[in-house]
Amino acid sequence: MSGRSALVALSAHLALVSSISFGGFPTVLPDVRNFVVAIHGWATDQEFTNFFAMVQTIPGPSMILMMSFIGLKVAGFPGAVASALATFGPPCSIYFVAYRLWDRFRAAPWQEIVRRGLVPVTLGLVVASGTVMARAADASWPAVAVTAIAAVLMLRTRTSPLWMLLAGGALGGVGLL
Amino acid sequence: MAGESGLAASSGPAERDLVRPVSLSALFIAFLSVALLGFGGGIAWARRITVDQRRWLSEPDFADIVSLCQFMPGPNVVGIAVCTGAKLRGGIGAIAALCGFIVIPWSVGLALGALLLEYGQLPIVRNILGGVSAVAAGLLIAAGLRLFAPHRRHPVAVVFGLLAFILMAFTKLPLLAVLFGLVPLSIAASGIEKARVG
Repeated sequence: MSGRSALVALSAHLALVSSISFGGFPTVLPDVRNFVVAIHGWATDQEFTNFFAMVQTIPGPSMILMMSFIGLKVAGFPGAVASALATFGPPCSIYFVAYRLWDRFRAAPWQEIVRRGLVPVTLGLVVASGTVMARAADASWPAVAVTAIAAVLMLRTRTSPLWMLLAGGALGGVGLL
Repeated sequence: MAGESGLAASSGPAERDLVRPVSLSALFIAFLSVALLGFGGGIAWARRITVDQRRWLSEPDFADIVSLCQFMPGPNVVGIAVCTGAKLRGGIGAIAALCGFIVIPWSVGLALGALLLEYGQLPIVRNILGGVSAVAAGLLIAAGLRLFAPHRRHPVAVVFGLLAFILMAFTKLPLLAVLFGLVPLSIAASGIEKARVG
């Protein structure tokens, strides 16, 4: 498959899966891996895993970046741009329309009930994803302590998270974690 | 959440203290910082900037947006940008927030990523990133707990929040199963609770 038609196929597939990635883009990663690695052989398994690990450690929209690195591999810079657009374009339109509808019916009694049911579950999921991240990042007891201290400082004080992130990076850099 | 303003007032600005109007450039810059600061997930930063610092959204407003975004397809934090922009300034606001979130951070990330692909195997780089990730995990946990604070006196909310946390953190169930399994039950329970209490 030439670069150009590969790019079209990749973008079309990303646009499709991003539209059905309920619960966040990571839920469709296994499908993307299958498409990119197993079906088309555009990247190796190792490369795919490296892209994932890397985007976790740089700031910015991580899943959009990850897809851009795949696009970069397939078709160079235009590939990176097209993959990014395909990843965030369709969901953004959905977010916008859904939020306008949700906001229009703010005062409706049914919405109060839906909200009171929905919000606790999704916030439980936010805390859970922090915990899952912690388990991946905290290979030692000092690292677990750092995670706990960061959480407490964030809850109890007005310390800027930026200082905490810098401190974490410094502790890691000198080999204490 | 009209009936809950007393509880929600514990953190975040009250409805009457919200800052209005919000300029498009302020939206652009706010979400630019969320993206640049948001190591390992931007929800913690998005909450800090839009609720604590700029006072654009109340705590329940933000929890509302996060919940809606978790329920939609796509990258959740991008959704937070789009919904916040839409709430404050409509369609053009959504575009401003989205551009702030994506354009510059994406370029920086692509360049940085290309470098990391070259040098990412150096032990010192890995160690630093490990320390940063440990802190980032703590920040995310704190953001979730803080958003939960207004709900802590509702038994139904606490039970379902805990269930969602346990199922997601300690079982191998896929997110979709947890979401679509718990949410209908949780909504039904909150409906019954409301009907009883009135």
